Amino acid sequence: MSARPHSGPNGSLIAGLGTLVLLAAWFAAVRFLHVPSYILPAPEAVVRALWSGLAVNPASSLGYYLPLWSTFSNAAVGFLLGCGLGLLLGSLMAEFITVEKLVMPYAFALQSLPKVAIAPLIVIWFGFGDGSKVAISALLAFFPILINSFTGLRSVEPEKLDLMRSLSASRLETYWLVKLPHAAPFIFAGLDMAVVYALLGAIVAEFLGAQQGMGVVITQAQAVTDVAGVFAALVILGVVGVVLHSTVRRIEHRVVHWGHRGKK
Amino acid sequence: MSDAIEAARPLIAAQALCKTYITASGASLLAVDRVGLSIGDGELVTIVGPSGCGKSTLLRMIAGLDEYSEGVLKLDGTPITGPSRDVGVVFQSANLLPWMSVRDNVALPLRVGGKHTAETGRVDRLLEMTGLGEFGGRYPYELSGGMQQRAGICRALARDPRILLMDEPFGALDALTRERMNLELQRIWQQSGKTIVLITHSISEAIFLGDRVIVMSARPGRVLRDIAVPIPRPRSLDTIIAHPAYGEIAREIRGLLNAEGTVD
Repeated sequence: MSARPHSGPNGSLIAGLGTLVLLAAWFAAVRFLHVPSYILPAPEAVVRALWSGLAVNPASSLGYYLPLWSTFSNAAVGFLLGCGLGLLLGSLMAEFITVEKLVMPYAFALQSLPKVAIAPLIVIWFGFGDGSKVAISALLAFFPILINSFTGLRSVEPEKLDLMRSLSASRLETYWLVKLPHAAPFIFAGLDMAVVYALLGAIVAEFLGAQQGMGVVITQAQAVTDVAGVFAALVILGVVGVVLHSTVRRIEHRVVHWGHRGKK
Repeated sequence: MSDAIEAARPLIAAQALCKTYITASGASLLAVDRVGLSIGDGELVTIVGPSGCGKSTLLRMIAGLDEYSEGVLKLDGTPITGPSRDVGVVFQSANLLPWMSVRDNVALPLRVGGKHTAETGRVDRLLEMTGLGEFGGRYPYELSGGMQQRAGICRALARDPRILLMDEPFGALDALTRERMNLELQRIWQQSGKTIVLITHSISEAIFLGDRVIVMSARPGRVLRDIAVPIPRPRSLDTIIAHPAYGEIAREIRGLLNAEGTVD
């Protein structure tokens, strides 16, 4: 919705230079300031760890591929589940005052609660398997969609609702043709948050105990003070996060085509 | 147009029509005060008055969007209880749906509200008539303000209603575009034979377009005078200013509104 500052060729040049400076400083700090490797591993050690995780048979349990797939697929299922339920409940709340009155107090209470704190409870309920990962991902993805879809659906200009009333449009027609498209930018802003939260949820579940996943890779590396290994796993997760984020943005540009007229 | 039958049964009739709003603080606010109206089939009547005089409320009641508190309001002899298929509403600032193409916006009334009507080229004919023939596939944000409002008029005409209600339709346009739209509306009215009720706060627009000009007072809105405009049609912007009746009527309206002390 709001115009973001455009990153032209100039912007990416500055970003590239910044990265180089950061890497040089990192390298210099390790080499000349003798920062111990269990605090900050050398860049080349991280690269080596990355390589050893990437340059393996994808079916091997030593590489990143299987854990990444486990984390990603569970986060994706949780994301879809959480977003679907969030949109459904957000829509019901926006459409029916009774549902709003009934649900709003709980939604607010839960919203202000740090939801990862519920994760141990969910692990008790769902066990150390994929169920917990999906459930925590879904829980974290649910709230931004619930709040954003509710806010978006309620913020339709009254003239647009007058228009639909003047045409004797049904409630469903008004929802489908006016309210939902109007709320789309709000919902996408929620999806943007939810996609990262879902990943976070899966990782948290894996920290609490799981057979496989990127969270397990991190805790195993930590257990043997393989800090370079932890860094490498974080780089992988960072890349996945950026890819997911930009995928949502790209889909938004497709769907909410009328909202980006100034940026074509 | 005004033969004995029309006089006996006007298309839109109001007697002692009142509208009271209850404000947030619980006080009641009289917006429309004992308004009497009689608008015949095929007439183009303009309503002029200061801002907040209840003229929009009056129009909304005729459109079936607002309930009236007291009095009688009939459409073709039947009390108005809600939106009617005989009425098309043209809103301020076009009020198009930005996520739909111009053609889909114009076709909207044919797709919602129960009875679905086959288009059979009607939408294209309307777009053609208003000079939007080439723009059906465009989106509202690609159109100028004047073109957007032409699309808004097309949409209101889509169900071929007997009555067109227009709430300051050209208020947001620049002076030149507004004059052109006035000419165009006169042409559309003469071609289609619709009954049009148009609200404006421009005295010149009210006289140029109206068979009659109804002057309303500041809140609570009352009918101050109902002035016939005996200037022959088709009117042009040059001939109307030269016509002796124009200055006379303009002075009369200005006098009425000045006496109210509320002219914009």
